[in-house]
Amino acid sequence: MADIFTLGIDMGSTASKCVILKNGREVVGSSIIDSGAGTTGPQRAFEACLKDAGIEQGQLSNITATGYGRNSFEAADFVISELSAHTLGVHTMYPQARTLLDIGGQDAKVMSIGESGRLENFLMNDKCAAGTGRFLEVMARILEVGVADLKDLDAKAEGTISISSTCTVFAESEVISQLAKEADIPSLVRGINASVAAKAASLVKRLGVKEPVYMTGGVARNTGVVRALEKELGTEITVSEIQQINGAYGAAVYGYGKVR
Amino acid sequence: MSEIRKNLDELKRIAESPRAQLDRVLSEGKKAIGVIPYFAPEELVYAAGMVPFGMWGAETQVTESKRYYPAFYCSILHTALDLGIKGEFRGLSAVMIPLTCDSLKGMGTNWRFGVKDIPVIDVAYAQNRTIPAGEEFTESQFKKIRGQVEEIAGCKISDKALSEANRVYNANRKECLRFTELAASHARIVSLTDRALALKARYFMERDAHTELLRKVNDELAAMPAEQVKGKKIVTTGIIADSPELLSILQESGFVIAADQITHESVDFRALADETIDPVKALARRLNDIKGSSVLYDPAKGRNTELAQIAKACGADGVLWVLTKFCDPEEFDYVPAKEMLDAAGIPMLQIEIDQQMVNYEQVRTAIETFKDIL
Ligand code: SF4
Repeated sequence: MADIFTLGIDMGSTASKCVILKNGREVVGSSIIDSGAGTTGPQRAFEACLKDAGIEQGQLSNITATGYGRNSFEAADFVISELSAHTLGVHTMYPQARTLLDIGGQDAKVMSIGESGRLENFLMNDKCAAGTGRFLEVMARILEVGVADLKDLDAKAEGTISISSTCTVFAESEVISQLAKEADIPSLVRGINASVAAKAASLVKRLGVKEPVYMTGGVARNTGVVRALEKELGTEITVSEIQQINGAYGAAVYGYGKVR
Repeated sequence: MSEIRKNLDELKRIAESPRAQLDRVLSEGKKAIGVIPYFAPEELVYAAGMVPFGMWGAETQVTESKRYYPAFYCSILHTALDLGIKGEFRGLSAVMIPLTCDSLKGMGTNWRFGVKDIPVIDVAYAQNRTIPAGEEFTESQFKKIRGQVEEIAGCKISDKALSEANRVYNANRKECLRFTELAASHARIVSLTDRALALKARYFMERDAHTELLRKVNDELAAMPAEQVKGKKIVTTGIIADSPELLSILQESGFVIAADQITHESVDFRALADETIDPVKALARRLNDIKGSSVLYDPAKGRNTELAQIAKACGADGVLWVLTKFCDPEEFDYVPAKEMLDAAGIPMLQIEIDQQMVNYEQVRTAIETFKDIL
């Protein structure tokens, strides 16, 4: 029987991600472009993914779009919400997962997953940058470091300089005043990571912590945030191997289900 | 069928053109009094031969009201005040402003400063409305308001006229309730937008005229066989849920509103005035009978029990909690309600909206996902 290729595209607000699955399991192509819905990002991610998989669009059985811009991808055969896509993605790869926390560039969402993989309940953050990747971006800019450096700086910290303001704007001035006092940068970074973790943890607690807890999204790459979250939630957190493309992966899995 | 469409479209036209309705009333030589939520005794206005004009804010961007309220404040009051300052309510003889929540408590003062040409009638209710002393207090306030309304009307309000007003309002309430039931069983004919706007129109027209129009719709619907419900059935709860964008997202997702516990809708018309007692007392007592609203003090949180009952009675698949942003009374109610519904096994989704919202994408994602999990 011929191989079945399904493509999932996750059109987020700040990035576009694409995955091509072979026979519903094997990732044969993936791409991440740092431009989201409303830009050329989705199309570029789509093309890059086909190239990565070494196949033509005509070989795809179907395309499933998800994410913020999901309704605007014309080539899509199916459209599913990002919460459904994330749940499907994590359940396929980690059937034991009961809670999934996804922290992206602009939002955070938490999903409670049943044994059968059914999404039982969910919460999204309230249009606020605190507790999302955006908060880290703003802080990294003031510290004149890259977002990717925050995890290494955190690892070097000997203490924590707490950030008391939840609001990104106020936290920004708090960090600036700490810098003026020549505060220890790694300890400050640990405080910044802890601040994101505290806000995200409150979202998880509102839904109820069901173990085991998994994490996806760009922020999951920051081990400082992950460790702080583990402390806040009092449980171990496993970061998905495909943390950045889990939504697109879930969409591709959905497409495969439609073929079958 | 075409008659139903014609009448629903007429109600929609009225609901979407409040200023034109006010102009019509004024051009007929009648006086109109603005009525800010919640549950002001507008029957007094009707009984005095004037026209009450509902003021529940509007989907608009505010500019002027920001001088009086912080930008994040309750959007119903923000937009109502903003329109007031911009002269959108010119021609009203007065505006009734109840004091039912913390945000409303400052509204009277802000209005007096911002909209100098429309005087305020303060409407105070007893906090402990259900005890005899509470009812007595509310009654005494309504008597005072009766005098203020009489002064504006330039005539006395007889008990007979007020009793008649109570009768007219009760008839309207019954017709509205009947409509919500028929709309649920004829969801392919009555869209969610039709439903919301047909109910909303009553705030901008004389109640007897609204009753007449809605009765025609109801009678025709009742003569048609009930449809098999295709989509998921939900109960909506909250202060107001007339946002066109929200309604179209719900419609596209295939939801049917089986019943509601929205203050702007059914909460207002589920409680009737007792037509057998003194008409002012009847107004005060109706206030006691109103359940299902966070804005009227109820230590027993009967709203939540009622919500579970409504959901069960109509066989709803879930409940949609439409939270008006910055609304304390609603936020306080949410936590015990969520616990109660969880215990009853009724799924609930909370979404947060306000009348100045332009981006509904997160709401869309939440609603579409809610449909998936029901
Ligand atoms: S009860 Fe809530 S929505 Fe109503 S006026 Fe007060 S704050 Fe605004």
